[in-house]
Amino acid sequence: MALLKVKFDQKKRVKLAQGLWLMNWLSVLAGIIIFGLGLFLKIELRKRSDMMDNSESHFVPNSLIGMGVLSCVFNSLAGKICYDALDPAKYAKWKPWLKPYLAVCVLFNTVLFLVALCCFLLRGSLESTLAHGLKNGMKFYRDTDTPGRCFMKKTIDTLQIEFKCCGNNGFRDWFEIQWISNRYLDFSSKEVKDRIKSNVDGRYLVDGVPFSCCNPSSPRPCIQYQLTNNSAHYSYDHQTEELNLWVRGCRAALLSYYSNLMNSVGAVTLLVWLFEVTITIGLRYLHTALEGVANPEDPECESEGWLLEKSIPETWKAFLESVKKLGKGNQVEAEGVDAGQAPEAG
Amino acid sequence: MAPVLPLVLPLQPRIRLAQGLWLLSWLLAVVGGLTLLCSGHLLVQLWHLGTFLAPSCPVAALPQVALAASAVALGTGLVGSGASRASLDAAQYPPWRGVLGPLLVAGTAGGGGLLVLALGLALALPGTLDTGLEEGLGTALANYKDTEVPGRCQAKRLLDELQLRHHCCGRHGYKDWFGIQWVSNRYLDPNDQDVVDRIQSNVEGLYLIDGVPFSCCNPHSPRPCLQSQLSDPHAHPLFDPRQPNLNLWAQGCHEVLLGHLQGLASTLGNMLAVTFLLQTLVLLGLRYLQTALEGLGGVIDGEGEAQGYLFPAGLKDMLKTAWLQGGAARRPAPEEAPPEEEPPKEGLPEA
Repeated sequence: MALLKVKFDQKKRVKLAQGLWLMNWLSVLAGIIIFGLGLFLKIELRKRSDMMDNSESHFVPNSLIGMGVLSCVFNSLAGKICYDALDPAKYAKWKPWLKPYLAVCVLFNTVLFLVALCCFLLRGSLESTLAHGLKNGMKFYRDTDTPGRCFMKKTIDTLQIEFKCCGNNGFRDWFEIQWISNRYLDFSSKEVKDRIKSNVDGRYLVDGVPFSCCNPSSPRPCIQYQLTNNSAHYSYDHQTEELNLWVRGCRAALLSYYSNLMNSVGAVTLLVWLFEVTITIGLRYLHTALEGVANPEDPECESEGWLLEKSIPETWKAFLESVKKLGKGNQVEAEGVDAGQAPEAG
Repeated sequence: MAPVLPLVLPLQPRIRLAQGLWLLSWLLAVVGGLTLLCSGHLLVQLWHLGTFLAPSCPVAALPQVALAASAVALGTGLVGSGASRASLDAAQYPPWRGVLGPLLVAGTAGGGGLLVLALGLALALPGTLDTGLEEGLGTALANYKDTEVPGRCQAKRLLDELQLRHHCCGRHGYKDWFGIQWVSNRYLDPNDQDVVDRIQSNVEGLYLIDGVPFSCCNPHSPRPCLQSQLSDPHAHPLFDPRQPNLNLWAQGCHEVLLGHLQGLASTLGNMLAVTFLLQTLVLLGLRYLQTALEGLGGVIDGEGEAQGYLFPAGLKDMLKTAWLQGGAARRPAPEEAPPEEEPPKEGLPEA
């Protein structure tokens, strides 16, 4: 009992081959799009690798790039096969390759689906990488004279301005680190000396934030220093003041940005996967329809196309049998080599 | 009545002309499309910067006219490609015969006129931009503190975002902020002696400080941003005046915006010039093709040599013909009377 049998006459076969040819070339375009998306994702991750301690995983963009290239190759090959399928002479040379090719296609589709899933699942690992990277980045904010870290201040400032965020989880993260370098502290000032003495590690901690945390939508000029001291500023209550600084943390901001990006890329990859599955099914039908042409001299005759020759459980049984035979075949061959002549009649 | 600029076009040159015209038309369509996008981009940029340009400044005229001109150029390109393709195929040409004449006139008059206007506006833009920006930025700076006045409450946010995005400070430099009051009175403590002193020492009662808003800060500076007491060298003892001052953005917003918009306008002007050139070539080619095929009576494959021309007669002759035709149309009655008198006169001598 064949699975999903469809009858094909000559015209239908020709139409199927032509339609598949077109779909394959469209799929090459889709492969190029996947390649471009993978490249774009890779560049976006590289741009902000400073914020992720240069330890972010490039698995997803690399696999997208690989899938894009493979898709282009496979689909242009399939397009060539479909083009030749209309000419029996040319098709004859492709015949022995079609079955393994279809198996490879099924494998490719599975891997593509897994890659699409990975796009949605990457968020978790990105979150921990970002938290770690931002924490370290903020620690190096003041080291503008240390080679290798001198750009961290500019990077964090531009990040906070661009993504409208402040600190790791919020602006209070800046209270816990020394973000003003010792070079710009006046050690002759009593206030500075008091602060440093009152800190266990000898760090100069302030309840202030860098200018890049300021929110332009605030109606009053930005208050950056003495944020927890209500009496330092006229008509200011730090408990109720919301518009002065950005409230979102940069980890949440970057995570939401990358999540949106990955979700869109994942959605596009799933669509392309569906398209590829349709092409593989069509190619299988074309393959079986052309195999089923009973009389090769008469191309006008009808034939049947199917997905699987027998129903699914029977096919699975036959597959297991063939695997067992393969194993037994090896054993028999080994015995044959030893004994000279093995009874292969069985 | 000699035709103006005649050109003999046998079959092969006619085919070459049609093929070349097809290529040129597609090129014109592409360039027209790009100019359309460029003028759209300029329009969007001007709309974004609308608060910083004085409302009396008609800068939006350039991108709008350029938009119309590039749309006409795009249309001309598509029409040209269709007509030149059709002129190679005898079955497809007849429907084009009637339409081509009026289309050519529309293309020349409409497209040419709009393009010339757009080019003129592109040349006149820098002057209008300068005065517009001067006025607009001055108003924006003055309105910075009015975050509770309806109609001006967005000025602070927009000016801060402008300074952050375009990396500029003040109109011509950061010292512009010293001359205006940018801190609203609502946030000034009336009991603070320093505030009272400052206000009293100012003629107009303004609270002026030698400080700038946070958006002037330059992230490239190695030290945390110094925003206040900028004219006092002793306020920040560790500030080294020998170092190039990276603390604030050095450029004024006037120069930055002017450069940015002028760059866009000059790109648009260049593209309009290229479109003008291509459109002239396409229209000329179409005219020659049309007149040559008319000479053959609309038969495409005619082996005969047809003459293509720009105008059927010189300008004076054309005007005379047009005047006579117009005169004939205006006096139909007297025209009918003489022929009626003629036959009786002829009859009499015979008799």
